[in-house]
Amino acid sequence: MKKIYLLMMVTLALSGCEKDDICTEETTPRLILEFYDISNPANLKNVLNVKVKGVGQMNDLATYNGVSKIALPLNPTENSTKYSLIINSTSSTVAPNEDFLEFDYTHKNVFVSRACGYKTTYTLNNPNGILLTDAATPDTFWIQDINIITTNITTENETHIKIYF
Amino acid sequence: MKHILKFTFSFCVVLLSSTGSAQQKTETKKDSVPVKKERYGVRLGVDLFKLTRSFYETDYRGLELVGDYRITRRHYLAAEIGNENKTVSDDPLNFTTKGTYLKVGFDYNGYENWLNMENIIFVGLRYGVSSFSQTLNSYQIYNPNPYFGEAPVVISGDNFDGLSAQWIEVVAGMKAEVFKNIFVGFSFRLNRLVSQKRPNNFDNLYIPGFNRTYNGDFGVGFNYTVSYFLPLYKSTVKAKKKVNKKK
Repeated sequence: MKKIYLLMMVTLALSGCEKDDICTEETTPRLILEFYDISNPANLKNVLNVKVKGVGQMNDLATYNGVSKIALPLNPTENSTKYSLIINSTSSTVAPNEDFLEFDYTHKNVFVSRACGYKTTYTLNNPNGILLTDAATPDTFWIQDINIITTNITTENETHIKIYF
Repeated sequence: MKHILKFTFSFCVVLLSSTGSAQQKTETKKDSVPVKKERYGVRLGVDLFKLTRSFYETDYRGLELVGDYRITRRHYLAAEIGNENKTVSDDPLNFTTKGTYLKVGFDYNGYENWLNMENIIFVGLRYGVSSFSQTLNSYQIYNPNPYFGEAPVVISGDNFDGLSAQWIEVVAGMKAEVFKNIFVGFSFRLNRLVSQKRPNNFDNLYIPGFNRTYNGDFGVGFNYTVSYFLPLYKSTVKAKKKVNKKK
């Protein structure tokens, strides 16, 4: 009889807690960009007041100041996402400079778990995964060089793209 | 004096004879114990829990037939065979699992019955196999950064055939005779997967017979059965063991 009670307790305990109903795994990743100094390519360089906005979006994604790493969400229903990056966007002394970065990729949906469902992972086109263009009224490029570290965008734990300026 | 002696002598004889007869009586009683017979046979039934769920849950259809065969005084060969069709509609996932399963094992009756009662309180083990298919009806993309808007629900319809799973079950429960040869019982089950064939880019989140999978490997089950006992033969209860136990 003791065994039966024990089994019943364990059963109740197991049915009571539904831990795997909360999504805790990493899901759809963003594109991780890191900024480096063009004159000293081994060193990270912080950006100043970079306003980031998806082309065609109503709202800005964010304005980054004093960071060397940013994360850009890709559009999971398209095969291309274009961002406008305006450096010195709030500066009154230095003129702002706008560059466009267009990411071209394929995407697929990967199963994660019961609680998370599916996530979307991306693979940048190789070659021509990134297209750098200048503003409509040319103001020279502030981005000097781009280095694609990996074309597989599956996790946010690694840097995908290095940008030199 | 003579009379007193005679009386005491005869009294002693009577006493002795009475004790002797008393001993004889108990011996004959002991002899009558082995005559007790217990019935052996097959018990066949159906799981009412699955049957009633089929009525009140629109996205569930299930049937389970249960059976056991008494092989020794305390051991029963036991088996369950069933079919389930279950649709799970969680927030991120909506899928349908269909399949058939078979569980085979034994039960051990730990209950000492009174007189001619045949109730059972048992623990047991089963080995379960299931063959099933899954259809992923629709799913949602989990995107913690919905800058480009919430992802729409993806209608999939992907079909995963030829899936299978094998597992071990620990069972505990009871069966009681409510009418002549009609037994009602219930059991709790703890399941652990031994092996499974997973679908590509999906998972076995529900396995017929195993039920919902917890953290991949574990499952729990319950059944409530009504069964009919078909007696095949009677076997005398071996008295030797009993006497030894009492001593």
